[in-house]
Amino acid sequence: MVQFALLDWIWIILFLLLMIGCGVLFYRLGKRSESDFFLAGRGLPWWLPASSVYATHTAVDTPMWVAGVIYKHGLAGIWYAFFSAWCAISAFVSTRIFRRSLAFTQAEWQSLRFTGLGSELLRGWMTGWQVFMTMFNMGWVGIAMGRICQYLFGWPTWVGLVVFSSICAIYVLTAGYWGVVMADFQQGIVAFSAILIVSIWGVITAGGPQGIVNGLAELGQSWRLNPFHFTGWLSGDFPLAWFITMMVIALIGGFGMGTSIDWYLEAQRIQSARTVRDASYSIWWGTALVIIRNSLWAAAILGFFVMFPNLTEAREYEMGWFRLGFDYLPVGMLGFFFAAILAIHLSTVSSVLNLGAMYVTRDLYHHYINTEAPQEKLVWIGRLATVIILLGSFILGLMMEEITKWLIFALWIMAAGVWLPNILQVIWWRFNAWGYLSAWMANLGLSWLVVWILPAFHVIPPLPDYLQFWALMVLTSLIYLPVTFLTKPEDMGHLVKYYVMSRPIGFWGPVRREAERRGLMGSMEPPQQPGS
Amino acid sequence: MKLIRREWTPAEADEWAREDWLAILLSPLAYIGLAVGVALAMLLIPIGFVILAIAIILIILMHWVIDPKLKLISTEYEKKQKQYLESLEKTIRWEDAEWTKD
Repeated sequence: MVQFALLDWIWIILFLLLMIGCGVLFYRLGKRSESDFFLAGRGLPWWLPASSVYATHTAVDTPMWVAGVIYKHGLAGIWYAFFSAWCAISAFVSTRIFRRSLAFTQAEWQSLRFTGLGSELLRGWMTGWQVFMTMFNMGWVGIAMGRICQYLFGWPTWVGLVVFSSICAIYVLTAGYWGVVMADFQQGIVAFSAILIVSIWGVITAGGPQGIVNGLAELGQSWRLNPFHFTGWLSGDFPLAWFITMMVIALIGGFGMGTSIDWYLEAQRIQSARTVRDASYSIWWGTALVIIRNSLWAAAILGFFVMFPNLTEAREYEMGWFRLGFDYLPVGMLGFFFAAILAIHLSTVSSVLNLGAMYVTRDLYHHYINTEAPQEKLVWIGRLATVIILLGSFILGLMMEEITKWLIFALWIMAAGVWLPNILQVIWWRFNAWGYLSAWMANLGLSWLVVWILPAFHVIPPLPDYLQFWALMVLTSLIYLPVTFLTKPEDMGHLVKYYVMSRPIGFWGPVRREAERRGLMGSMEPPQQPGS
Repeated sequence: MKLIRREWTPAEADEWAREDWLAILLSPLAYIGLAVGVALAMLLIPIGFVILAIAIILIILMHWVIDPKLKLISTEYEKKQKQYLESLEKTIRWEDAEWTKD
């Protein structure tokens, strides 16, 4: 347990008051409409959603995870955390296309891109999946916060989970996305400052930059300073083939939508930006901060390794960065550090909470239950959904020990076999809703076969994860490609409408020619509607 | 013809052009440079500063290339956003917009 001085508690209380104050301050803006409650009225300059991208993707379990891979693999471990680089290409491709579609959510985008029963099935599936995932994510980071509080104060884990998520819910309920993004801006500054201060402090504590380099040399571990230290083409625990796969998944994935689990959160930030340009820069710069943050952590964890080179238990070395803060920062700074951890935690929870509520309100209630609902009612439904998501996250968080390994598998299922379909839906006009749906279904079955069943019966050897990815990608395509070609293309009128609005990249020749034939290209101007 | 085009008409800016592909290429390189450069520079390893400097140059270059195009796309698109939003609201109410039909 850690002892806090009076100054430490002052830091924490001030910070919490600041966060809740945000909710009160932006209450009037948040309640104006559905668009305000979930997208801040689509009017934000790029730096606000950028700070939200950064703050949201800095969760309390992130430093543990980054510390784990850096301690184990040296600087080469930064590539494990490089998956966020899907935004490199996305910022100038899928972000631009999605922003122009104006869809509130990825589920809504499905019904703009596809049509008919298939599109509605996809919208329903995507909504259900995202509502569940938001509860799961909140439970996941909530229980991580519970464990940190247990380490610091000796509280039962449920206390940290329930107390801080509930505090966060106050400003999400009050001001919706306005509260989220304004709090994220402050939380982003606090969190980045703390990461910078603690990491520099950690480097100094370990003997300074030169001390770390010398210390690694004395330990015979200088290879840890090489970010491209591979263990072979295919062999060892860090082969070049893994690195190439990771780069392909992360970077080429930027042409698609949903190739990363983070896409769904970013999609909200993209639509909240006031212009296409602001959307692009918000995604690019928010992710740049994430990448810089990872590297700051990496340097500090190398220092931690020099100080404690013989840790073998993951749960010990994964706490490396937290230990540098709590064990070595001077008195009075501990409260600042804990406030920063709260910032890291609240920014993630608030964003996920508002995202889940948006799917319930926009895609479930507004589209399927009450299409004529007035704006005031939609905001209240958003608040009700926020409470439901919050309660669901408590239940999942407390069940986490039992379900985690199954859900990690579920996340893997989601990523591998639908990675390419997630790109095809953006770049290829002929890919239809049935092809995309069949990819999801096929991936569900094939993942079990490739990852669990066939290796268990010795039909195939257990494959490393990067080979599982390629195998699932190829096998799934053997199902969704025939399904696509055996079913009709989407309605041409619907595709033309989508094309003119979004101007997607890739293979859209027939749709473009039809749009030109209808006189819809060039000016981007929709003709006046009859009677208007 | 200039290698990098910085003046566009609205219709031209809407097309996917060489400048878009250049941004798509420069952007991941800049991220890789940032990741490696910051970590090594934190440890005062000289090559880290060189890589970081290259990353910053790539970022500036990327913005220089893509910004005029993005600005114009945004300006033109925002003029029509209101109509598109009306169309979106019709979609959520299960009404198809009429403006794309023959």
